[in-house]
Amino acid sequence: MKRIVGILFILFYCVQNLPAQKKYICKEVRISFYSKAPLEDIESHNTKALSAFDASTGQIEFSVLIKGFEFEKAKMQEHFNEDYIESDKFPKAVFVGTIKNPGDLKLDKDGVYKVQVSGSLTLHGITKPENTEAAFTVKGREVSAVADFAVAVSDFNIKIPSLVADKVSKTVRIVINVPSYQSH
Amino acid sequence: MKYKKKYGWLILLAIVIIAGLYAYREYNRKPADLSTVDSQIKISADGLVIKFEKDEQKANLLYLGKPIEVTGLIAEINNQQDTLVTIALGKKEDMHKVSCLLDANHTNEIKRYKVGDNIMLRGICNGYLLDVELNRCVIIK
Repeated sequence: MKRIVGILFILFYCVQNLPAQKKYICKEVRISFYSKAPLEDIESHNTKALSAFDASTGQIEFSVLIKGFEFEKAKMQEHFNEDYIESDKFPKAVFVGTIKNPGDLKLDKDGVYKVQVSGSLTLHGITKPENTEAAFTVKGREVSAVADFAVAVSDFNIKIPSLVADKVSKTVRIVINVPSYQSH
Repeated sequence: MKYKKKYGWLILLAIVIIAGLYAYREYNRKPADLSTVDSQIKISADGLVIKFEKDEQKANLLYLGKPIEVTGLIAEINNQQDTLVTIALGKKEDMHKVSCLLDANHTNEIKRYKVGDNIMLRGICNGYLLDVELNRCVIIK
């Protein structure tokens, strides 16, 4: 009897520590966006976005502060914040979603895992469904992830005046890079 | 008569050139280095966190997008290849700290400091996630 209890206890302890049960967090997520237009190419980077991910439920979230996006040119940063995205009114962009095939993601085995993420993106005060493919890389204890997708500017009520239409593209490419998820 | 006309054209040309140069400079202007900017807002790291914890909307109205001078204890220094340096202000066990991303031209300044030191930084407040976030930070003392 004692032996059975002992074994059950050990099994219980092991199950508690399986990677699938863990919550992960990263405070240095890099989010970049790129706009290619006839007259101008715009790019901007934010290196302090936040992401939380629950391996057992597949829930994944991203939050980013709009004012943290850095541009080469001050004028571009000012136009972006004041006119297009109105960051004083809407300081954050948030994505909340789930990994559709969490079983495909084997966090205890080295490899690259492609997953489908489905959820909603809130930007400029507007929430829209957003789906994208993401790639998780597991190397030893390191879990990192990348996603690359496009967003239509008009979907989020972001108005580009016709005067500068040749300078800002209608769809913007967004690249998300999670350098390392830490277990939480 | 001809004499005056010639001068008129030269003055016009000078104005056009000056306006053009100004527009060119303005277009290419880089975000200001905060070591050259003064900040009206001076606050402790703990004080700033409390403001955001209590009422994020109100704190955003006060601080969002503004240069802030913040003083506190260094809880953590995260240095990624001298290009991305983040200093967390507060106590190690604090749930919410002030996270300061150093201006790319000022990353070397952190070398004189270590965890536990008192430090004063000036940065632009970006808002509140898990921590109060400041960027383009420069070390004051």
